[in-house]
Amino acid sequence: MSVIDVAPRAEARGAPRRPKPGPALQHGKVGFVLAFLAVPVVIYGLFVLSPYVQAIYISLTDWSGLTASQTFVGFDNYVRLFEDDQFWVALKNNVILMLVVPVVTLALGLFFASMINVGRRGKSGIEGVRGSKVYRVVYFFPLVLSMAVIGVLFKYVFAPTEAGGIFNGLLGLVGLDGLTQPWLGDPRFAFWCVVVVMIWAFVGFYVVLFSAAMQSIPKDIYEAALLDGSSRFTTFRHVTLPLVWDTVQVGWVYMAIQAMDGFALVHIMLGISGGPSRAGDVLGVALYRSAFNSYRFGYASAIGVVLLVLTLIISVLFMRAARRERVEL
Amino acid sequence: MATVTFDGASRYYAGNDKPAVDQLDLEVEDGEFLVLVGPSGCGKSTTLRMLAGLEGVDEGAIRIGEREVTNLPPKDRDIAMVFQNYALYPHMTVADNIGFHLKIKKMPKAERAERIQEAAKLLDLEPYLERKPAKLSGGQRQRVAMGRAIVRRPQVFCMDEPLSNLDAKLRVQTRTQIASLQRRLGVTTIYVTHDQVEAMTMGDRVAVLKDGVLQQCDTPIGLFGKPKNLFVAGFIGSPAMNLIPAKVNGEGALIGGQTIPLTPAQRSALTGTNVVVGVRPEGWTLKSDGEGIPAMVEVVEELGSDQFLYCSTSAELASVDTEPADEAEAPHTVTVRAPGMSAFQRGEKVALVPQPGAVHLFDAESGDRLPD
Repeated sequence: MSVIDVAPRAEARGAPRRPKPGPALQHGKVGFVLAFLAVPVVIYGLFVLSPYVQAIYISLTDWSGLTASQTFVGFDNYVRLFEDDQFWVALKNNVILMLVVPVVTLALGLFFASMINVGRRGKSGIEGVRGSKVYRVVYFFPLVLSMAVIGVLFKYVFAPTEAGGIFNGLLGLVGLDGLTQPWLGDPRFAFWCVVVVMIWAFVGFYVVLFSAAMQSIPKDIYEAALLDGSSRFTTFRHVTLPLVWDTVQVGWVYMAIQAMDGFALVHIMLGISGGPSRAGDVLGVALYRSAFNSYRFGYASAIGVVLLVLTLIISVLFMRAARRERVEL
Repeated sequence: MATVTFDGASRYYAGNDKPAVDQLDLEVEDGEFLVLVGPSGCGKSTTLRMLAGLEGVDEGAIRIGEREVTNLPPKDRDIAMVFQNYALYPHMTVADNIGFHLKIKKMPKAERAERIQEAAKLLDLEPYLERKPAKLSGGQRQRVAMGRAIVRRPQVFCMDEPLSNLDAKLRVQTRTQIASLQRRLGVTTIYVTHDQVEAMTMGDRVAVLKDGVLQQCDTPIGLFGKPKNLFVAGFIGSPAMNLIPAKVNGEGALIGGQTIPLTPAQRSALTGTNVVVGVRPEGWTLKSDGEGIPAMVEVVEELGSDQFLYCSTSAELASVDTEPADEAEAPHTVTVRAPGMSAFQRGEKVALVPQPGAVHLFDAESGDRLPD
């Protein structure tokens, strides 16, 4: 282990006049480093890494999850997975979640945050739009609700008219009766309802995140932009956005990984089969279904491994794509 | 090129009855370099920001040339501003910083590059055009901020303490550069500073503000030679003018046994019986024999070219100060300028006689200057 190497090197670098550290101190240092390094590493290995390894192994077996023994079947699970049409439906939905949700959420977050912070030329320079203090709080509301609560609430919002669906009721109120739908019961809309809810649930967080980033931009930069004749949009495009880009980048990765999951919302809003005709299925729900409904743990683990690989690839890709020169304020 | 006119312009801040800028009337001529000076909180920056459109105008009007700009947004005023902290765009190169306005104006690329090059040449910024502001020194950043203003060829330059973040030596250098650049370009310039030396050395005219009220607007010589009231007298000049309260009797104002005669006009303008006699440090004649105000040298400040003597006098000669904060600093002392390398010693007894032409008289009640 490299821990052992650290001590002698540190000693060699020490000032020559200083007395050589005794063996007791040497020992204490190693113990100190070990205590702080080894414990977390062991815990991390035990509870984070080993489940991954186990899952990879299980995915190569036909374990049902109920038996004590399992048979090694090689890549059979993966072959079956890639031949399963439902897997591709779920994967397609995951890709939609991963592309649409972050883009829309981040765009809305940036828009609201810039309106709240630098939306208006007030009596004393740049300030937020009227009522921005209220909006700041209101946007945070969805964040205090758990995903489960949000899912249950929106299940009622999108319920059919007869079941008291609020959304259909609203459409009726503004005279758009023709547009009412059994939203969660129609394969064409079910999944998009989940997308909308997910965006709703996350926008607030990004408004807060981007607000913090925007507040650290000196106001006189905006004033200089005003005097340079920059419109609101140009200022956003050429001043605000580049200066909060680091934050956007972090938010981007975080949101993509969040959206990759989508399990809770889909499970609660559309049920374990992924909605009508299984059209709203996502990999997380498919995994859960295989494991706890069909008792095919081997197959479920294979889905899990695919999900892991995809998440890793996506994180790396996003980090690469969003990399830019750091801006020093 | 254009004139700038403030016509009774006022600005109130929310929750404050006293205006930050109070009924300001000011006329800046075409191509003039006007300096707004005053202690902090006097409304000088607010005035500048009102002109730039960054601060609203609650009463009155502001005109650039014949154009009323009171309610125009900043971009329509044709003004360029240099900020105290430069406000450079940190993510853009020097060239992009300078050319941002031209880019927004959709100027063709070639022409834009030429204009940027021209401005960069004027300010010795050519080697740095591709750098980001974070990689520049304070002085270079300041020049980029200047470049951003110059490249626009605006009608008016606004400068908000552009030198206050530079070190002392660079400040003196840049002071001259800005003044000569302004004269070369001939653009009407309004320059805000709290440093009266900057104000005196750079401005064609200097406007002194206090508590949002314009005290006096005059050439540096006018301000120095004929300060309109006690505040201006105490604010302009370094070291400050000695302001000595005195009673007026039949012959004139009495200070430490010396009589300063008052003209009939001065007498009739006087509201009470008290005056304040102002004498600049260089307005004293030092005598070693008995005649004159007896004083003792407390501190000798040797500057090489000049020597300033801080002398204590008897209590009746208490020096008044317009700034209460300075009171502790200079009670009972009179500052006197002596030639550099003089042989004055601490504790030495001297006699001070004000030179006849160097006496300024102010009404002690109103603080106004008495007619000469």
